Amino acid sequence: MGIFRYIIRRLIFSVGLVFGVSLIIFFIINAIGNPIEILLAERPGITPEAIEAMSRYYGLDQPAPTRYAIWLWNILHLDFGTSIIYNQPVGGMLVAWGWETLKIQVPAILLALAIATFVAVTAATRQYSRVDFSVMTGALLGHSLPGFFVGIILILIFAYWLGWFPSYGAYSTRNMLWNSALADSIWHMVLPIAMLAFFNTATLTLLMRSNMVDVLRNDYIMAARASGLPERKVVYGHALRNAFIPVLTYLAILFGLMLGTAPVTETVFTWPGLGYLYITAIQQLDYPIIMAESMAITIMLVGATLLTDIAYVLIDPRIRLE
Amino acid sequence: MLSTPASSNSPLIGAAAPALLLRVSGLAVHFFTGDGVVRAVDGVDYQVRQKETLGLVGESGSGKTVSSLALLRLVPRPARVVSGRIAFEGEDLLAKSERQMQAVRGKRIAMIFQNPAYSLNPIYSIGDQLGQILRWHDKIGRKESLARVAELLRLVGITDPVSRLTQFPHELSGGMKQRVCIARALLCNPALVLADEPTTNLDVTIQAQILDLLDELKGRLGTSMLLVTHDMGVVARMANRVTVMYAGRICETGEVRTIFRDPQHPYTRALLESMPRIDQSYSGPVKPRLAAIAGRPPNLIAPPSGCRFHTRCPEAVPDCQRLLPEMAEISPGHAVSCLRRGSPGRETVGAVA
Amino acid sequence: MALDASAMTASPGTAAKPPRTRPPGVWVQGWRRFRHNTTGMLGLSLVCLVVAVAVIGPFVVHYDPNDQSAMIKFGAKSAPSLQHLLGTDRMGYDVLSRIVYGAPTALAVGLGTMLVASVIGITVGGISGYAGGMVDELLMRFTEFFLVIPVFIIILAVVRLFGIVVVGTPLESIPYLNLMTIVFLLGLFGWPPIARLVRAELLRLKQMEFVEAARCIGTLRRDILLRHILPNALPSIVVVVALGIGGAILAEAMVSFLGFGDPKAISWGQLLYFNYEALKVAPWASVAPGAAIFITALGFNLLADGLADAFNPRLKQ
Repeated sequence: MGIFRYIIRRLIFSVGLVFGVSLIIFFIINAIGNPIEILLAERPGITPEAIEAMSRYYGLDQPAPTRYAIWLWNILHLDFGTSIIYNQPVGGMLVAWGWETLKIQVPAILLALAIATFVAVTAATRQYSRVDFSVMTGALLGHSLPGFFVGIILILIFAYWLGWFPSYGAYSTRNMLWNSALADSIWHMVLPIAMLAFFNTATLTLLMRSNMVDVLRNDYIMAARASGLPERKVVYGHALRNAFIPVLTYLAILFGLMLGTAPVTETVFTWPGLGYLYITAIQQLDYPIIMAESMAITIMLVGATLLTDIAYVLIDPRIRLE
Repeated sequence: MLSTPASSNSPLIGAAAPALLLRVSGLAVHFFTGDGVVRAVDGVDYQVRQKETLGLVGESGSGKTVSSLALLRLVPRPARVVSGRIAFEGEDLLAKSERQMQAVRGKRIAMIFQNPAYSLNPIYSIGDQLGQILRWHDKIGRKESLARVAELLRLVGITDPVSRLTQFPHELSGGMKQRVCIARALLCNPALVLADEPTTNLDVTIQAQILDLLDELKGRLGTSMLLVTHDMGVVARMANRVTVMYAGRICETGEVRTIFRDPQHPYTRALLESMPRIDQSYSGPVKPRLAAIAGRPPNLIAPPSGCRFHTRCPEAVPDCQRLLPEMAEISPGHAVSCLRRGSPGRETVGAVA
Repeated sequence: MALDASAMTASPGTAAKPPRTRPPGVWVQGWRRFRHNTTGMLGLSLVCLVVAVAVIGPFVVHYDPNDQSAMIKFGAKSAPSLQHLLGTDRMGYDVLSRIVYGAPTALAVGLGTMLVASVIGITVGGISGYAGGMVDELLMRFTEFFLVIPVFIIILAVVRLFGIVVVGTPLESIPYLNLMTIVFLLGLFGWPPIARLVRAELLRLKQMEFVEAARCIGTLRRDILLRHILPNALPSIVVVVALGIGGAILAEAMVSFLGFGDPKAISWGQLLYFNYEALKVAPWASVAPGAAIFITALGFNLLADGLADAFNPRLKQ
C-alpha cells in the first residue's frame, strides 16, 4: 500500500510541476515584448487570418493572467493552436516530428546502456589492471567531449572521407538504400545514434564501474562466492543487480539532457525532429510551436523522471516499506 | 578422510582419536602491494579433526582470517597463496581447479562471516538467496529448495520460517540475520564450517544465544568447525582445541584445557593475562590496571627477524632475534614454537625467513 | 633515538618549549594531495594553457581576427599552411587568430556564468540548509522546479526574443549585450546543482561536533556560519564550480552554434556556426574550434575530478 500512495503522491507532484513550469514558460515568452507587435515587425508577410487566429487562441487583448488561463485551457483540451509557418495544427506536428526525435534518442540510450554495462563489468572485475585504467580514461574523455564535436568528427570520417553513411537528413529523396524504405531509414539513423550514444556510454560507464567496484567490495559478494556459486553468477546475478539500481535515476537525467540538446544534435545532422522544428520556430517566431513544444518537452522530462522514480521504488526492496 | 597414524599428533591409543578432516601444512599467503609484499600468513600448520572445533586465535592482523579464506581459495587480490598444502577429505585443495573448488565451497566447507548485516544480499529475499545456493549444488527444483530452506530456518531457531522466505534481510534483526547466515552455511550439510568472528558484531545477549545455537548444531550434525576469533572467552566456550597465531606464524596449539591451564608461549600467556577476570575487582581505591601487551603489532612487510614476537616478549633473549622457532611438541597434543621452551630454531638474520 | 639537545642542556622547570607551528590546514593538505593526482594536474595544465592563450595570445598572433585580407591573397577556405597555421575559414579569417581570441570569451563566459550561479546557489542553498524546516522544504521544491525546466530551449527563445525587443532601444548600444544575456541566463538556470550541494554540506556540517562546541561557548550564529562552516564547505563548492565552468562554456558554444550567439563576439561556438556549412571543403575551420571547446571543457572536468579526489581522498586498497 505504501507504494500506491507514493505513486499517487509523485503523480500529483509531477502534475503540479508541469503546471508551474507552464506558468514560467508562458510568462517568459510572452513577457518579452508583445507577440503581435513582434510578429508584425519581423514578419511583414504575415496574413491577417494568422493574426486573427493567434488573437483568438491567446486572447491577446486580455490582461496577462487571463491570457494564461485561456492558453492553459486550450492546452488541456489538447488544442495546441496552428503553426504560423506551416499552417497546420501544432499537435499533429509535434507527434510527427517527435517520432523522428525518439527514433534516434531511444535506441541511443538503450545502446549506451548495453555497451556501458558490458564495459563497466569488465573493468570493475579487473580493478586497477590496464583494462580498468584504459576504460576509465576512455570514459572520462568521452564524457568531456562535446556532443556536436563528436557528431562533426563522425560526419567527417564516416560520411565524407569513408562515404559509408549519409551526412544529413532522415530519408533519401532518391535512390533509397537497397530500395527499401526501412533500410534507408536505418542507414540514416546510424550516425546520429552513434553521436548520442557516445556521451551516454561514457557517462554510464563511469557511473556503473564506480558502482560495481563499491558493490564488489561488500561481504555478501564474498559470501556468495563462499557458497560455491560460480563467478559468473556472482558478478551478474548479485553484484550487477545491486550496482544497477542507482543507474535508473540517472537514465532520466540522461534522457533529459538528450532531449534538451536535441536542437544541437538535429542541427548537426539536419535531422527533422523536435529540436530542428524548435529552432525553425524560434527563428521564424512561430509562437504556437514555441509554446506548445516547450510544454511538450517539459511533460516528457517530468514523465521520464516520474517513471524512473516509480521504477526505483518497485525494484529496490529496501524502499518497500515507506 | 585422513586417518592419523598413532605417531603424529594424537597419541591417544585407548580412546580412538577422531580422524583428521583438515590438515594445513606450510601455508603461506602474501599480499603483493605497491608498498611491498605483506607476509600475512607465513608458514602455518594446523589441523581440524572430525567433529572437533578448533579455535584460531590472534590479534587483528595476525593472519587468521586470511588463512581461513585460503582454505576456500578465496583470498582477495592482491593476495596469493604462495606455498603450502591443504589436505581435506583426502585431496589437496590448493591443487584443485576453480570448478572443482566450486563443488567444495558451500557444499563440503562452508563459511559464516563476521558481520551478518553485510553478508546477506539486500535485494534478494531470504528464500531466493539460500534457495539458489541449494539449487546450484543439488540441482533440485524451486519448490523443493524453498521447502528445504524453511526446514533449515526452523533448525536454527527462526520462528515461522515459511513467512521468512519472502522477507528481505533488512526486515530481520541482527541475531536473526546471523541465524540465517548459519542456516546458509548448513544448507548442504558440510563437513567443515569456517566461522569468522561470528558473534563480534552482535549484542552481548544475542552473542550467547548464537554461540549456544552453534554448539547445539555442530553437536547434532557432527560438523567440524574452525572458529576464528580474538576472544578467548568464545574459545573457552566453544572449542576443543586452540591454535594461537601471531604475525602470520603459529605460536602454540593444544587442547583448550591445557592451553588455559598451562600456557607455554609468552604470547599466549600475555593474551590470557590481558583478559579481564571475573574474580578480580576493578573498582575501589587501588585500581589494578588491565594488563596489555607492550608494543605494537609488527609490520608484515618487514617482520622482525628471528621470532616475530621477540620485540614485545618479556622473556626474549639474544637468540630470539636470530633464530625463527619452529613448532615442537612439548607434551602429547601440545606444541609450542618458542626457543625458551625448547623449540628448534632456524637462522634468519640477513635472510628473510 | 636521538636525544633533543635542548632537553639535555635545560634543567627541569626551565625546559625550552619547541616553537608552536600550526599543522597544515585543509587547503595546504589538499594541494599536496592534488599534486599527486594525475588527472587533476593534467586538468590544471590544460586550464592554465587556455588562460595563457587568452591572456598572451592576442599579442602573439599574426593576424587581426577580423582581418579578411586572406580572401584576396590566399583565398578563403584554404588549408593550414605556413602563413595560416590553422588555415582560413569560410569568410577569409585566419582560423588560428580567431581561436586565440575566442579563448578569453570562453573564460569570461565560464566565470561569469558561475559567478551568477554561485551567488544565487549559495544564497538559496545556504538559507535552505541552515534554516531547515519549512523554509528548507519550500526552497527545495523551488529548486526541483528549475531542474525540470528545459533550460536550453528556454534560453534560446529568450535570447532570440530579447534580441528583437532590444532593437531601437538604448540598450542596443551596450557592447556584447547578447553575450551578457546568454551568460546571465545560463547562470540564472545553472544554480540548482550549487544550491543542492551547499545545502547538503550545510546539513552535514551543522551536525558536526565542532559546530556544537562553537555554539556551546556562545559563538554567534553568523560567526559559526562564516568562520566554521563555510570554510569547510568551500572545497566541495569549488569542485562543483569547476565543473560548472566547463558546462557553461559548452552551453554557450551550443547556443552560438545554433546561431543565437553574439555576432560581434568571437566565440568558438560562433566559429562553428559560421563554418559548419563548409565542413566538407574546409574541415579545419570547424574542427579547430570544436577541439578548442573540447580541450577547455576537458581541462575543467579533469580539474574538478582531481580537486574532488584531493579534498575527499578515497582510501585506495
